[in-house]
Amino acid sequence: MRSSPLVATLAAGVLLVACGSEPDREAGDRRRVESATGVSISDLSGVNELVASDVRFTTDVLDHLFSQLLSEQADFAEHPPTFAPELASSFEWSPDRKTLTFHLRPDAVWSDGAPITAEDVRFTYEAQTSPEVAWSYSHLKDGLADVEVVDPRTVRYRFRESYAYSLVDANEGKILPRHVWGQIPFARWRESADWFREHLVTSGPFVLAEWRPGQHLVLARNDRFYDRALPKLDRVVFRIVPDAATHVDLLASGAIDFACGLTPSDAKRLAKSPDVRVIAFAFRQYDYIAWNTRRPPFDDPEIRRALTLAIDRQGLVDSLFGGFARIASSPIPSLFWAHDRALAPWPYDPREARSILARQGFADRDGDGIVERAGRPFAFELTTNSSNRLRSDAMVLIQAQLQAIGVAATPRTMEIHSLTERNIAHEFDATLSGWAVDTTLDLKAYFHSSEADGGYNFGDYRNNEVDRLLDATRRAASPEAARPDFERLQRILHAEQPYTFLWEPQRICAVRSDLTDVSPNALSSYFNLPEWRRLRATAGSR
Amino acid sequence: MTRLLLVRIAASLLLSWLVLTGVFFLLHLLPGDPGAAFEDPRVPRAQRERLREIYGLDRPLAVQYGRWLAGIATGEWGYSFSQQRPVGAILGETLPPTLLLSATALAVELTVGFALGMLAAVRAHRFVDHLIRACSLALWSVPAFWFGLLLFLLFAIEWRFFPAGGWREVGSRAGALAAGGDIGWHLVLPALALGLPAGAATARFVRATLLEQLSEPFVTSALARGLSPSRVLWRHALRAGLGPITQVAGLSLAALLSGTLAVEVVFAWPGLGRATYEALVARDYPLLLAGTAVSALAVLAGSFVAETIHAALDPRVRDA
Repeated sequence: MRSSPLVATLAAGVLLVACGSEPDREAGDRRRVESATGVSISDLSGVNELVASDVRFTTDVLDHLFSQLLSEQADFAEHPPTFAPELASSFEWSPDRKTLTFHLRPDAVWSDGAPITAEDVRFTYEAQTSPEVAWSYSHLKDGLADVEVVDPRTVRYRFRESYAYSLVDANEGKILPRHVWGQIPFARWRESADWFREHLVTSGPFVLAEWRPGQHLVLARNDRFYDRALPKLDRVVFRIVPDAATHVDLLASGAIDFACGLTPSDAKRLAKSPDVRVIAFAFRQYDYIAWNTRRPPFDDPEIRRALTLAIDRQGLVDSLFGGFARIASSPIPSLFWAHDRALAPWPYDPREARSILARQGFADRDGDGIVERAGRPFAFELTTNSSNRLRSDAMVLIQAQLQAIGVAATPRTMEIHSLTERNIAHEFDATLSGWAVDTTLDLKAYFHSSEADGGYNFGDYRNNEVDRLLDATRRAASPEAARPDFERLQRILHAEQPYTFLWEPQRICAVRSDLTDVSPNALSSYFNLPEWRRLRATAGSR
Repeated sequence: MTRLLLVRIAASLLLSWLVLTGVFFLLHLLPGDPGAAFEDPRVPRAQRERLREIYGLDRPLAVQYGRWLAGIATGEWGYSFSQQRPVGAILGETLPPTLLLSATALAVELTVGFALGMLAAVRAHRFVDHLIRACSLALWSVPAFWFGLLLFLLFAIEWRFFPAGGWREVGSRAGALAAGGDIGWHLVLPALALGLPAGAATARFVRATLLEQLSEPFVTSALARGLSPSRVLWRHALRAGLGPITQVAGLSLAALLSGTLAVEVVFAWPGLGRATYEALVARDYPLLLAGTAVSALAVLAGSFVAETIHAALDPRVRDA
């Protein structure tokens, strides 16, 4: 396949970049190779997901190189996510819901032509649970007693007990090629990224045609993919450009066709361009301020509520995000089925905030504009990570709003790892950060008292009823059965405000107008990449 | 000269050890633990501990240091946390682009620096001199990443004279000549971004050094003996001033090597500076340590080469 999209005419000093469509000369036919070029700040961290770093871009790419048994859908607004068939054409539960049987598609083969069988599924389970491989998410398989090969096309998962997310956990992870990757022992997997790359066979709609670390990677059509209609594009190129500030320029100039993770100001700039379409969509993420309940007065829920009332979150959403966010009211973002829609966010009410402070004994007795209690002024440090410009800007605006009710907040930015370490050690007053929420809605890590020592319950928030509800939602017989507990949990957290829930930022992608059927969603910006198409039928030059 | 060389090599080795030790302990003193690479709320603590164990981060710092130093002595830099590959392989991939960029930037620096510096010295206190001094001061004051971004936006995005970053075109598999041309074409903007500000500094240094030499009695004496001004400039003043200029050039190479970080990030140049930056973001300690150590060793090597050349050129240093 000819693939040299850059023609440099030195004499004329003109650079022509031909993207989009080009004749497939090597194939000897007149069919055009449809391609699209995107960009990423980070490179692929490996091709074996069990040992690669869990960077979002790596997951996004591997999603299209490898198939899972089932494909989780982003239809979780009204009910828990459903699953579409992928390598498994069907599945069935035993009456006690402790045995799950998958039937594999007969036409699924690896990119080298070898059939994908139940042995591959069993091998994947062995690798996922191997202490030598040490997959970060091996605990997701803790509920499984075993995975059995019934016949080459049938595999049976046996659970120790029935629980709400057993199907999600069984399906977690891409199926790996036993006939190739089984050649090296698990003990060597963590030092063999190059070997996996050199011995890569895939099962998804794409193969990795080229990967130049730090430069670009090229996904090309997998001709052996079971769905012959996919992918619609023959080739997808990702350029690795670490400076995110240049992505918008690359897109505007036509050097690339799509980019995600753009800022609201990028979106506003691109919205003026007739050649570019901006796609903003709700994502399963929220930002918050965590209050350290170990340090008075943040141990008092009333004080925390007063601070929330003093922050004009709608104003911040409008000024910082320009409409590309909405106010958050709970740790379950509003796009999820379990989000309590009856729960109204606390309003912006500085007068009520002042009243609460006064009731709790705070008053400005020395006339310096800052309220005190027992001689101690209400002053604290508000931290966030230095690499997030929006959060840094938000801190300054929040500082001014708190100043209006007589509270002195001092903003401080920190490198992300230092910030996390301090937060885990509870060495902070208040911290502005954000979480991405998994579709299983497991909130234990953030609010359970058992996660306060060395875990991610930064503010050392402790509430026995919350602990009970968090445990109950994990043990429920089905996700739907946990809905009342999720709602009760959200109401307690709303009332007690261990966090001030700030906003749910949208994800922003932008694509050249001739790229169609691009539908990013809360699971992945590139969720339906195999369905992307190009409208243009002739080669263009830029 | 041999004795001097041996002493310098011994001193460089000692300094290298001190630098490597400093780099190791300073990076471990940074707030945030190397194990932060494995921090993720969705990963249970026991699994995070298991990963720390696999990468040897659960050992006492002194043991980690001993293993790291012993590894380096045998050419083994360890495994990258974020890429699960030998750090040596990553160095092997990223060092050549960085060396190429640094060497080209050095060529730009020296060409621009010598040409403008000498012109300014010869035309001292005239319009050309004032112009060169003003321009070089302005260029010198500009941060490399900002200047790089400016070049990128103007010449790659706005006017599209040069490629918008990277070092090879996607899918380019042509022969060595075409590949060389491709890389060379991508090299222009980053090399200018790195080399021009450094060239501005060199120009000022060359001018000052030459003017100092031109005011020496031996120049007056040479001119009095009837030698042509150009011969005096090239054969006498420049040669006498070459020692300090060589030293600056040697240190420049080292500075350019370690200064590639920002330029490599802006131009998506797949070099060591960028790999080090990404290792820092990912808290990938083995790679971060290697990148920092190589930069530090490059400074030492540059300084060693410059001093040795200086000694070869100047008998006062050689015989000291």
